[in-house]
This record gives sequence, structure tokens and C-alpha cells, in this order.
Amino acid sequence: MSVQPQPPISGAAGLTPRQLTHRLRQMLAIREFERLGEQCFRDGLIRGYYHSYAGQEAVGVGFLNALDLSRDYVVDHYRDHGHCLLLGLDPEQIFAELFGRATGVSKGKGGSMHMYSPERHFLGGDGIVGGGLSVACGVGLALKRRANDPICVCFFGDGALDTGTFHESMNLASLWSVPTLYVCINNLYSMGTRVEDHSSLSQLVDRAQGYGVKTEQVDGQDVFATTAAAERIYQYMRQTKRPYFVEALTYRYQGHGIHDKALNYRTEQEEAQWHSRDPIQLLAAHLITEKILSAQQIEDLRQQIVAELQAKVERAKQAPQPDDAELKQDVLA
Amino acid sequence: MLLTYVDAIRQALAEEMRRDPAVFLLGEDIGIYGGAFKATAGLVDEFGPLRVVDTPLAESAIVGAAIGAAYTGMRPVVEMQFMDFIACCFNQITNFAAKSHYRWGAPVPMVIRGPVGGGVHGGPFHSQNPEMYFAHTPGLKVVEPATARDAYGLLKSAIRDNNPVLFLEHKYLYRRVKDEIAEDGPATPLGLAAVARPGRDLSVITYGAMVHLAVETAAALAAEGIDAEVLDLRTLAPLDRAGIVATAKKTNKVLILHEDTRTGGIAGEITAILQEEAFDDLDAPILRLTSADTPVPFSPPLEAAFLPSAEGLKAALRRLARY
Repeated sequence: MSVQPQPPISGAAGLTPRQLTHRLRQMLAIREFERLGEQCFRDGLIRGYYHSYAGQEAVGVGFLNALDLSRDYVVDHYRDHGHCLLLGLDPEQIFAELFGRATGVSKGKGGSMHMYSPERHFLGGDGIVGGGLSVACGVGLALKRRANDPICVCFFGDGALDTGTFHESMNLASLWSVPTLYVCINNLYSMGTRVEDHSSLSQLVDRAQGYGVKTEQVDGQDVFATTAAAERIYQYMRQTKRPYFVEALTYRYQGHGIHDKALNYRTEQEEAQWHSRDPIQLLAAHLITEKILSAQQIEDLRQQIVAELQAKVERAKQAPQPDDAELKQDVLA
Repeated sequence: MLLTYVDAIRQALAEEMRRDPAVFLLGEDIGIYGGAFKATAGLVDEFGPLRVVDTPLAESAIVGAAIGAAYTGMRPVVEMQFMDFIACCFNQITNFAAKSHYRWGAPVPMVIRGPVGGGVHGGPFHSQNPEMYFAHTPGLKVVEPATARDAYGLLKSAIRDNNPVLFLEHKYLYRRVKDEIAEDGPATPLGLAAVARPGRDLSVITYGAMVHLAVETAAALAAEGIDAEVLDLRTLAPLDRAGIVATAKKTNKVLILHEDTRTGGIAGEITAILQEEAFDDLDAPILRLTSADTPVPFSPPLEAAFLPSAEGLKAALRRLARY
């Protein structure tokens, strides 16, 4: 199996100390956001469903920081909070959406899986696995006609490869030659079904190669690896206007969703193995070794982030509930 | 110029593509082949393969890609080779397209057009009327023209609309009806029914190919002293409630006719609207004449038995007139 944890990270992917610190901050913000969000769920502030991105931070950090949001677009899947943060959406508005409030990202009408920001070129957030792959194909088709070499990045999980739309979209993306990057976040489980039990080929890249799409696997725990891959792949795509498929090997720390607590489909040993290569710890260790930040400074940074996010939660709690009149608004454009 | 229903569709597509460079077509065999029913014949010659895009047989990806293009400033018009095939992209339409504006405020200016309906012996997978799956889904518009003039004018409006529009073309009409249509003529607003034949005694509310059955039957019944009004709905979502109520209040007797199967057809909804808004004006029970609650059979005599017939409509209207 290719999905065993990889060795420790090395190299800095050409990032400056300031950029490295920024990326640590981003990963900590996602981790702490999800921690707070799950606490809010347990407190009854959030209803319905909640899918945590904790553990997968290095994937989004690598592939989203390398984008140019003045021209590029992102199509996301349902596990979208982390990507929203990385794209610069206000955590207060994200929390407000999670709370179902009128000031939320989607006016409280979408909830956790349906974030959206036209200003940040973020085209969702959607709740049906695989559907976004075809949408990203069409975004790529539209972007290809623009002069400034924009690209589209589409995130989805390993389970999405089993949908018919994956195959239709890969064929179309390759046939039409659209500049769309398909990032498969392989966290080893399609909900509770392990990758060997849901995919006929355990090397997921093999499934995209059949469509003549260039592919590669990347260590999704290693922010340097995802950063370097993103920069190299984006350059290739802007030049060639070709699609690309990346399998990012990573692990989600929580269950599929907040209601999935038993996790009886995976072992403590496996969890411990992945926690031993925690993406935040790996970057933090690098920063300490390189004397960019001390352990204390990192802990101070974490606490500062927690305080900032808690303030956002408090403000989101004060946000108004939607008015009943909102129910019938916006059904049609 | 005198255009058939399918020519009128091609004319509207071409004029809208000339008017707005964001409009482009995608679908199966719509380029060189010209579409299974030739609705796009010749368009690739004028607009080129970047605006008349041939696709693989992949309805989910075609419609998904159209949605993605619509999110980013394009105005795609998708051809379903047969509207029966729309079952393959139900998720893209009813979840992604229909709910984008409600959940995000993101408009999806997209048209999905293609042939529906029976009467041409297409059998169970090439004759269906899928309108109610979509009329039932908030966030979509559903249009079905009965005339060449409306096919032209309504398609123009559908392409200019900022919502996803299902544009259902009755294949029986493609080459059977014609109208004089001026070049660069007006768009016909969506959501408004039209009186296809004015009458005093009773109303037939219908749409699509059944409009012609209703108008012909009404003409035959005029000799018996029954003066039937025919209301052509033209748009099923949003439904022209005012137009429906107005004809009921005028004639006080209503029959709803549709080619779609009976259970869950639009007749049930219109009946409920009339109970709610025109109960005191009704002099007779609301009748409905529809196709049977079966798949569409291939065998010509069986298909004829499945579809509403002129004789069946005459009998029902005579019964209604007697109240």
C-alpha cells in the first residue's frame, strides 16, 4: 500500500521564514477552528452535521496558498471549513453560517457544507460527493477562454473516485484540455469504508491516468511537499492548459462527521501512526530546528489564535437569526 | 420567414449566439452531425467548435460543466439528445443548478433543451415527459412551447434568463407545425400562459403537443354548439396562476389535458389551485384527461391507447358541457 505514513519532511520549498510562520499560523487556525466548531456543536450552537478538516491541513495550505485568487477559482467538497479559512473568508461569517445565522457566508441557508464566496472565487462547498468534479470541468472550460492563464482547483475525497461523475469529468477534462487541477484528498476512508474496500485500484492515481491526465502522489502531511507540488503543477497547467490529478495522502483525525464517534473501522495503532506525523508538528519541528520560532513562541501563537477565534465565536453568537421572510427569498435569481 | 418548430429553435439559438458571445452550446452530436433532430444543424459552421461543443455521452459531466461555466460568466445551452436521458444528470440539475441561487445567491444562467413526448413510436426510453420532476423542484423554470412562434420567443427568453431553465421541445411538433417568424423578433416572456383559442362554454388547460389536439377538438365541437377555450400554459414553472384562474372564472368549467402520465401530473396541481382560488366560480367538477399511468409502450396501437385521443377528449368535453 502506498498510503503508509511517509518519512519526516525536509526542505522548505523555497519559503521564507515569514512565509513558513504564516503557514504554521494557517494550519493552527484550521485545527483550532475545528476544535472550537466541534465544541460549539456539542454546546448546541451548531445543528445538523459537522465535518472536521483536522489532520488534513497541509493539503489545503499547500494548494491554496499557491493560487492567484485574482484569476483562479476553487471548487470544493463538503469538508470545506479549512479551505474557507485559507481563502480568506472571515471566521466570524463562517461560524455564523455554522450557527445558521442571517450574517453567515450563505445567509444561514447552506450550513457547513455550502460555503461560498464570489469575491474569493470560491465556488462551494457542496454536499453531494463527486458532483463538483464536473462543475470544475466547466469552470476550467470557461477559464481557458480567458487571456491571463487562470486555473481551477477542485478538492474531493477518495470516495468521489467511485462516482460515475468522476469518470465522465476526467474524460471531459482531458478531451477538452481544461486547466483544472483535481486534488483527491485521500484520507483512506470513504466515510467508514477503507480505500482497498471501495476502490478497485488502491493506487488512486492509476484511475486518473487512464484518461491521459498527468498525475502524481503527494505526501499530504508535508506542507513543503504540497507547496512545491502546487507551484510546479500550476506552472505546468498555466503553460499547457491541461488538467492534472493529485492524490494527497493524509488522514482525518475525527470521524467522517461529528456523529461518527466509534471509529470502529480503524485501529488506534493506525491513528497513532498518523498522529506521529502530524502536519502541524512536522512544520513546528522544522521551525524550531531552524531557529525561526521557539516552542514557546509557537504555543503563544496558538493561544493567540484561539483567543481570536473565540472572539469570533462570541460575535457570531450575537448574530441575528434569519427572519422568517427570508425563507422565500432567492429561490429564483 | 416561415419556420417549422425545429427551425424556429435553431433560429433563436443562432440569433442569441450572435447577440451575446457568452452564449455557447454543448451536447452530444450537436456539431457536424447537427443534433439528432438537426436543431443545431449548420451552427458549428457559423460559430465554430468553441461555441458549438460536441460532448461525449456523459450527461452528468455535460450539465455539471455547464453549471461551472455558468458560475464563471458563460451562458451555456445544453442539448439533451432525448429528454429521457436527463435522468443521468438529475443530481446536477436538482441539487447544483436548482439550489445555487437559494443557498449562495449564485445565478445559474443555463438552458437544458431537448425533445420530449410520444406519438412517434420511440418506445419507453425515447418518448417520456419528464417535466414534473423539475416543475416540482424549486429553483428551476420549466418551459414547453406548442408553436413555432413560442419555441422561438420562449427560447430567447430562456437563454436570457438568469435561472436554470428546462426547455422541453415536443418532438412530434418539430416538423409538423410552422409559423411566420420575423428575423430578430421579440422574446416571449416566461411564466405567462396564452389563450390558443378563445371560447365561452368551457376551458381546456393544456400545453405542448396537446394544445393542437385541444384546438382541433374544440373546432370539431363547435359544430355541436360547444364553444371551448384552450389555454396553452407554455411555462409549467413558474405556473401562470392568474391565467389559469381567469379562464376558469370565464367559462366556469375546466378540463386539464396533458400528455404526461396521470399521477403527479400538473393537472393535480392546477385542480388544487382552482379549488383554492376559483371554487365559487366552478359549475362542474374539474376533469382531467392524461396519458395512462404506465411506461410509454412502443407498439403503435398500444401507444395510441396510452396517449390522450381526440375521441377521448370529445367525450370528456361533452360530459363537461352537460353540467
